[in-house]
Amino acid sequence: MSVLTRHRPPHSASGNERAASAERAPVGGQVERRSLKRSARPVSGTRIPRGMRGPIVVSLLPGLLLFGTFFLVPFFVLTGTAFARWSGLDFAWVGLDNYRQMFQDPVFFKAIVNTLFYAAASVFIQVPLGVGVGMVLALRPRGWKALRTIVFVPFVISGAAYAVIFSMFYNPRAGLLNNALGALGLPGDRDWLFDTATARWAVAGTFVFIIGFVVVLVMAEIASIPNELYEAASVDGATTWQQLTRITLPLLRNVIGTAILIRLLVDIGMFDLVFILTAGGPDDATATLALYAYRAYLSGEWGYANAVGSVIIVIGLVLIITVRRAFRIGERAL
Amino acid sequence: MSETGNTRIARRSVWANILIYGFLGIVVLLALAPTVWVMLSSFKTGNQIFSGNGFWPSPFTLQGFIDAFTQIHLHEYMLNTLIYAGLGTVGALGTAFLAAYPLARFSFRGRNALVALFSLALALPLVGLATPVFFVVRELGMFDSRLGMVIFYSALQFPFTFVVLRAFLVSTPPELEEAAMIDGAGYFTTLFRIVLPLTRPALATVAVVAFVNIWNEFFFANLLLVSEENRNVQLVLAGFKSQFGFNVTGAVAGATLVMLVPICLFLILQRQVIAGLTAGAVK
Repeated sequence: MSVLTRHRPPHSASGNERAASAERAPVGGQVERRSLKRSARPVSGTRIPRGMRGPIVVSLLPGLLLFGTFFLVPFFVLTGTAFARWSGLDFAWVGLDNYRQMFQDPVFFKAIVNTLFYAAASVFIQVPLGVGVGMVLALRPRGWKALRTIVFVPFVISGAAYAVIFSMFYNPRAGLLNNALGALGLPGDRDWLFDTATARWAVAGTFVFIIGFVVVLVMAEIASIPNELYEAASVDGATTWQQLTRITLPLLRNVIGTAILIRLLVDIGMFDLVFILTAGGPDDATATLALYAYRAYLSGEWGYANAVGSVIIVIGLVLIITVRRAFRIGERAL
Repeated sequence: MSETGNTRIARRSVWANILIYGFLGIVVLLALAPTVWVMLSSFKTGNQIFSGNGFWPSPFTLQGFIDAFTQIHLHEYMLNTLIYAGLGTVGALGTAFLAAYPLARFSFRGRNALVALFSLALALPLVGLATPVFFVVRELGMFDSRLGMVIFYSALQFPFTFVVLRAFLVSTPPELEEAAMIDGAGYFTTLFRIVLPLTRPALATVAVVAFVNIWNEFFFANLLLVSEENRNVQLVLAGFKSQFGFNVTGAVAGATLVMLVPICLFLILQRQVIAGLTAGAVK
């Protein structure tokens, strides 16, 4: 999280951050950034009162135990075994062999390209669409609340459920897509998911319209923009369109960056949909890095699977840092 | 979500309205048409589903829902998932609350490092850790066990829950607790009698999000469960795909029911879900 939202101090930072963040509590994202920034210097919080040391340790212990067992230990196992041949039982150091093997495998490159393709679909279709809908709904056209709810619903539907939905939707004979195309007089007999020409687009089509989360983030951010800005603009004769593009959009830089970050993290680890819908086929045209690692795990090449896992994590970190730079996340626009 | 934003909806031209509603209509159609179509299909006969004729069910039948329980035994998997999601949420909330309070209130050596570490887990694509997680879970004797899955899901939801709860606690004033402690109340008394009731709104928010996340979880369930009797609903959904020929109406109705659980939770607790997700700004 700190990687996501650590940032330079806001221009307006006075000493009274607690009041500021309490006041913005409903928006949340703000509280988050501020609190993390605060934790960078040990200002907040009192010293531990006499006799509380013991209870505090007891209080921290369960969380530490869970986190240590299921995040830290696996992380160290991953870094250790990525340089070994390992099947869970036998173990031998092999240096960089796993990485060498990876970079010679054309399927690995297909998996990388596909994963980046899905990431690009999110960044260039899903997020802009969500920002657009969020900005329009923030104008409060009649029925905006109901529309916000409707647009959000797909976000709480699981990947497995989406796989069921879209395996029916894309079905070459009985699917809604081909039937609708047929009804419009267009050729409607393509097997969208298993035709190498369309498979990747078909998979991307399952998630690019899940925009509810971006919409909600954008609307929360717009709600925190002071009204005076718009009033002043109207007085000066700015149209709604000008207000949207000249005032709102520039102020959304931060939240757009955050939305992209969150989406990229999902895309880099994309598994459920592809695994269930196509199992990576046809001819690995839809396979992702996570699926590639999973196949190595299934065939007992655990060291190799972990080397791929390390690549997934590194790509994730690189993308995070790049997006944070590009969007100057954390630097307040106001 | 605050409703006090820009209340400046001046008069808009007819064309602007056509543009706005046209755009929103197309997006809603693209986002929901496949889902609504599948939900409607759960009232169709197998013949109609296979032929692909007609958008609306005709004839209308509830056979799919009957099959979902009598043939697929969906209720058993739903009970499993309820156990995972319910107890996993309790576990995550309990451990995260206990850890969030001292890390929000007191300053001590290593505090900032700990906060950063817990938060960093939210920025990792966790599927990268699949094999080591499998290894650790197996070594602990927790593979393919219900209790093991509950513990694992508590851990999986811990970072998000921790980050949101800590942010909330940092933004609340400490005076009440300080007064209680001066009056001689011990740490845990203060924590459970004073802090816990004050934290209730934040707890409600993260609880819904954690529950829905675990209900919808597929990747680690697929990795860590093998027995038929331990499977969660998402694994069952994934299995439907290969069984469509076998009982398509039951499968479609089952998928609809599984989706409806988080959808209904969201519709009832909309405010909490949205607040929780924007607060975490992650996931």
